[in-house]
Amino acid sequence: MSSAPTLSPAPDPGSSTLFQNYDPAPFFDELVAPDGQPRPCAKPMYEKLAEMPLEVYEERRKLADLSYLVQGITFTVYSDGRGTERLFPFDLVPRIIARSEWETIERGLAQRVTALNLYLQDIYGPQRILQDKVIPRQLVYSCKHFRREMAGLHVPKDIYVHISGIDLVRDSKSGEYLVLEDNVRSPSGISYVIENRLVMRRTFPRAFETSEVLPVDHYPAELVKILRSLSPRTGERPVIVLLTPGLYNSAYFEHCFLAQEMGIELVEGRDLVVSDNVVYMKTIRGLNRVDVIYRRVDDDFLDPLAFRTDSLVGVPGLMNAYRAGNVALANAVGTGVADDKAIYAFVPKFIKYYLGEDPILHNVETFLCSKPNELSYVLEHLPELVVKAVGESGGYGMLMGPMSDKKTIEEFREKLIADPRNYIAQPIVPLSRCPSFDPSKGGMSPRHVDLRPYCLYDGEKTTIVPGGLTRVALQPGSMVVNSSQGGGSKDTWVLRGDE
Amino acid sequence: MLSRIADSLFWIGRYMERADNTARILDVNYHMLLEQPPDTYRLRWDPLVLITSEAPLFYPKYGEASAKTVFEFLGFDEANPSSILQCIMRTRENARTIRDRISREMWEDINSLYHKVIKLRDADGLTYFCDVVKRGGHRFHGVCEATMPRDDGWHFLMAGSAIERAEMTARILDVNYHRLLEGPPILNEARSHAWMAVLKSVAAFEFYKRQYTQIEPQKVAELMLLDSRHPRSVRYNIGQLQNSLLAISGSVPGTYANEAERLTGRLHERLTYDRIEEIFDRGLHNSLTELQQTCQEIGEQITRTYFYYAVAS
Repeated sequence: MSSAPTLSPAPDPGSSTLFQNYDPAPFFDELVAPDGQPRPCAKPMYEKLAEMPLEVYEERRKLADLSYLVQGITFTVYSDGRGTERLFPFDLVPRIIARSEWETIERGLAQRVTALNLYLQDIYGPQRILQDKVIPRQLVYSCKHFRREMAGLHVPKDIYVHISGIDLVRDSKSGEYLVLEDNVRSPSGISYVIENRLVMRRTFPRAFETSEVLPVDHYPAELVKILRSLSPRTGERPVIVLLTPGLYNSAYFEHCFLAQEMGIELVEGRDLVVSDNVVYMKTIRGLNRVDVIYRRVDDDFLDPLAFRTDSLVGVPGLMNAYRAGNVALANAVGTGVADDKAIYAFVPKFIKYYLGEDPILHNVETFLCSKPNELSYVLEHLPELVVKAVGESGGYGMLMGPMSDKKTIEEFREKLIADPRNYIAQPIVPLSRCPSFDPSKGGMSPRHVDLRPYCLYDGEKTTIVPGGLTRVALQPGSMVVNSSQGGGSKDTWVLRGDE
Repeated sequence: MLSRIADSLFWIGRYMERADNTARILDVNYHMLLEQPPDTYRLRWDPLVLITSEAPLFYPKYGEASAKTVFEFLGFDEANPSSILQCIMRTRENARTIRDRISREMWEDINSLYHKVIKLRDADGLTYFCDVVKRGGHRFHGVCEATMPRDDGWHFLMAGSAIERAEMTARILDVNYHRLLEGPPILNEARSHAWMAVLKSVAAFEFYKRQYTQIEPQKVAELMLLDSRHPRSVRYNIGQLQNSLLAISGSVPGTYANEAERLTGRLHERLTYDRIEEIFDRGLHNSLTELQQTCQEIGEQITRTYFYYAVAS
């Protein structure tokens, strides 16, 4: 924004309470204890909000929305023929995580990311885990994103997953964080983490004085450090690019944001050309060699000569250059064999197998439909379960048993019987909730949330920006946090101390 | 710098300038018309359609040129690639594809302008609309000036801006010159009024008055074509274009590294050393037509030299 926004004077305490009639029961609430009092970590922010008059809150909310609009952090709805742009809803109440709790999450994620990398190294290498029968060979080979082309190919520094987003949920019953999903292909959303924080700092500058919130904006610097270390040309200043599918990709804003923050070139497939197994970009002064590609294009579309021939966003010959070791890709090709939802069920075993450790973060109980006995259990309990297609992400190909009508359930039953390998099922986890602004009430109501922290792995250690993206289901009662289903996001605070 | 990015910056410069100039022309014409007898209305709006070279698009669709139809056509029409809204949308699309290469301020400015203009679409105020666009143009230059590093990207943006402005000024002059000298007779005071409007559309009225006492068509043409100081004169902008091109290639002034530079250099020499009387002797319309053709050729040569890769990957 070009001019400093003017805020109303400090609110008159006691005149209004946004938290009137706020009832956290019967779910775990991230900010409010069952007795209705704020949790210690949330106390300063809670009090600030509790004494804020509705008009002031509304004004700040508008200010925040305007800031997203001006920056163009929107998605486009083309249905009215004019390309109306909508905002990705942002809820101003932060999700706050105490330091001690975060440290456990952090250790658990680092452990998981390390194990996933060792698994990928193994699968595309010696395949010890298959010989030891820890995971069925058939299950791995039948993954939609398993890439035979990667077998025996050496990737720089043996890292497959440099960037991952691991979805966590807190189970209201136990209060424990569980891993819901691994995203190790090209997870998006980190730009919202950084932008949300920026907007929060503009909107509630004072709140940051009373709560010591750990910063998140060093993510791009950490990422570019890793990318730089992958360059096949030593001694030269590496040329790093971010490969985007282009303007019409829903994460395009993020691609621009990251390229700009990292100071690297944002390229499309048509900007690159491969000659003698070397990748070049087309510049106004001729061809310029490229060393490292942070690609946000899926495997399938990366190289029309190697994968889908109809890809218009890829670079012909890129796989040959990769194979020849002349260019590094992050993430590596073929990482989808680690975040297949059926493979997910085995990740705790990977941790034990490769690291000899017990998992710090547990999985949600998962039924593999490929196993006949588990399939029959699933078929008997469909109305109580969530069924997910294994190779999909973003809430596609899902059945939410308790919220579905009979007809939908029966349709899924047929799909499951026809192709059991393609599905897993899980019990519904009663997600924790967080106070969120409820326009119909003119105050706070509890809404379900999840959490996606972003992990960067450099081959030795895992760096995780404190917090991550909290997605919130803004519809009353809904547990679906995807933006296409009316979900929004929140800033996520990890505090320097526990209080 | 990636060729695609240079290309986008060049066109951001062009589209913003086109939107700005179109708003100027609309606004000035509208105000001039308020003080005219009603029977000359039609004569006043036709030239605007001609300026944009989109007459074949306009007449079948709208029939008659009036304030309402021309405003709709030049302001918003989706089928008209030169309409203000289309220009701003394209500026924004281009800016969006290179967001990582332009300053945050620049993007936010372009994006805000777009949101502002799209909201005015169904409103009825021509003057306010034009004002928003013109201010938008000024802000755009200000934001670029204050936030862009002076690298190749800057020079491509400036080159696009300069070539478009030179072309627009030449077109305004060309079309109006015909209208006013060769068209149906109109009142004398109205004639000078019309020339004042032309000067105002290129923000040169006050500058003109300071140098010349009376409004004379030839003097107006001299200022718009050959003046070395006014930022909207053709000569000034061709000079700016030449500076940008030399900065990109690193050529020493007086030499050229490519066809675009040669053509620009030659054109600038002509505009510097020709006298307005000589141009009138040769025929103003012919000179302006030739000038516009040269500008088009320069644009093509810039594309060939910097943006276009003939080798298929």
